Amino acid sequence: MGVNPIVITGAVLYFACIIGIGWYSRKASMDASDYYVAGRKVGPIVNGSALAATYFSPASFLGLPAFIFILGYPFWWALVGIIGGMPIATLLTAAPLRKYAPTSFTDYYADRYDTKWMRLIAAFPTLIGGLAYVILSIVGTALFLLAILKVPFPVAVVLAGAVVFAYIYWGGMVATTFSTAFQGIAMTVASVVAAGYVIVHFGGLNGLTDAVVSNSPNFFNLPYVADKPSHALMGMWTGVVGFYFTWHFGFSAMPYTVVRFFTTQDIKSARRSVFWAVTIGGLMYCGLIIIGTGARVLIETLHPLMKTEGITSAIKLLVHMKTAFGVAGASVTDYSMIAAMESLSSPFLLSIVAAGGLAIAMATAAGWTMVLNVLLGRDLLGKVFGSKWPEEKPIACTRVMTTIVVLVCMLLAFNPPALVLDISGAAFIVILCSVGPPLILGIWWTRATTAAAGINIIVMTILSCATWMYANAVHKSAHFFFMTKSIVTPHQFYWVFVGFIFFIILSLVTKPNSDEVIKKYSLDLRPDAD
Amino acid sequence: MFKGMPKIFWMGMALLYGWFFLFLFLELTIPGFPLAKFLGIPGCYTYNWILGLWIIPIIVSYLFYSSEEKREAENQ
Repeated sequence: MGVNPIVITGAVLYFACIIGIGWYSRKASMDASDYYVAGRKVGPIVNGSALAATYFSPASFLGLPAFIFILGYPFWWALVGIIGGMPIATLLTAAPLRKYAPTSFTDYYADRYDTKWMRLIAAFPTLIGGLAYVILSIVGTALFLLAILKVPFPVAVVLAGAVVFAYIYWGGMVATTFSTAFQGIAMTVASVVAAGYVIVHFGGLNGLTDAVVSNSPNFFNLPYVADKPSHALMGMWTGVVGFYFTWHFGFSAMPYTVVRFFTTQDIKSARRSVFWAVTIGGLMYCGLIIIGTGARVLIETLHPLMKTEGITSAIKLLVHMKTAFGVAGASVTDYSMIAAMESLSSPFLLSIVAAGGLAIAMATAAGWTMVLNVLLGRDLLGKVFGSKWPEEKPIACTRVMTTIVVLVCMLLAFNPPALVLDISGAAFIVILCSVGPPLILGIWWTRATTAAAGINIIVMTILSCATWMYANAVHKSAHFFFMTKSIVTPHQFYWVFVGFIFFIILSLVTKPNSDEVIKKYSLDLRPDAD
Repeated sequence: MFKGMPKIFWMGMALLYGWFFLFLFLELTIPGFPLAKFLGIPGCYTYNWILGLWIIPIIVSYLFYSSEEKREAENQ
């Protein structure tokens, strides 16, 4: 398995498109408004495609098929939960936040809760989640570069860091919005074409299902109704429900998607962009389910490396990849999606999948890095600590922050702490249980208070991080309840619901905000305030 | 809490969660339910893969934006 010129050509064409879009839109990012929120002139289809490309990361493109490969059919419901959570954002946050029209994610917390220090408090979980996401995006880019160039993983990480850095450094939100919209189409085409290859290879959905059941008899097993579930983590209903809800509310409250609601032309565009994101992203997910379902049987029956002595299963093949290319940590399992595509022995297919994979990884890295460099520069340095630099030289400031963020994340990407989907799940839960309730209930509940917001963010950040790390260290998996391994609770997902209840109780026993603030940042943002 | 939220929001939520919990309940109580044939293919490809994953979210997101646009047009 060497470097294939067709695969290289596909990657070069992809980069040519990205550079072309960046060059075409270079004059559009000349002032701070354009750089931060694309001048608020992005239409619904472009913004919807950009939303899909930003929201879906290597955790989707590599991680979801890898988890179907590991956990079997019940994990399909996790994908249904992710796409099913997207429409909720239309009325819950997209329209109200576009009506409010802030510049940065933390603007709402500072305004609704009437203190600049809320920026600093909200920054903690955002920083944890954001760094995790940039790390996994660099890991994802590196795995695709490894598939294209067949270079050692550490070299691929350096190349990935350089690519992501150059892309964001020159772009800002305008270039990243238009190129990200292109990336949304690229990743969806890649996923659908790959799924088509898999279905055609097996002669249809019945042929695919028969081959999967023949190769992995427990793949479609659910808990309680089969002798053995598809996987221990799917051995009780909480496993299925937990994975469904882990990412479910992310589209409504994760900073890297919320900021894309700020870039639309108007509220109508913000609402319509969710429809397009669901349409484009959902189609990509349809492809990912087929890829993940067929991955094991494809690898074990067709992959060229299965002929290597000592390799008798897909897992052993991935372990071989880990040794041969120095892939660090658990990330080699994320390579299962690429390995499945390699099994079909089509350089054309691999070139499309590699281009789609690079697209999705770079789009997410760009989206999150923009959130982080605005957070660190404009919000913290400027608004909280009073520096004039972010205001006077906004582009220079965010570029310095980009340099720091990408460098730190690239160093951590050499040895990723977990599978990309596990990094993603941890980041989602930390952010959703901490800053999620003050954002959503801040809009929709006049009783939400500053004290409750501050306490909730701090307490939930600590609890969700500590229990995730405890379960991961003691039970060897973050998907078991931290107090006992006998209960499956993926990513300690219950903290999202606990966070909302905790926030409501705290708000009821603390001093309400002023009527003026509540009217401006809660009542006036609702639909009936028109 | 949630005063002013359009009714269509709660209807959409009911459809999304109703679909998920109904079919999960059936899968957890009827052995082999995902592979039971429907329209000549295993049923899970219909109720989970195409409808649950893609078509229903598209319908709900369409209803959400179109109902709001209709309401705004009536108000003007």
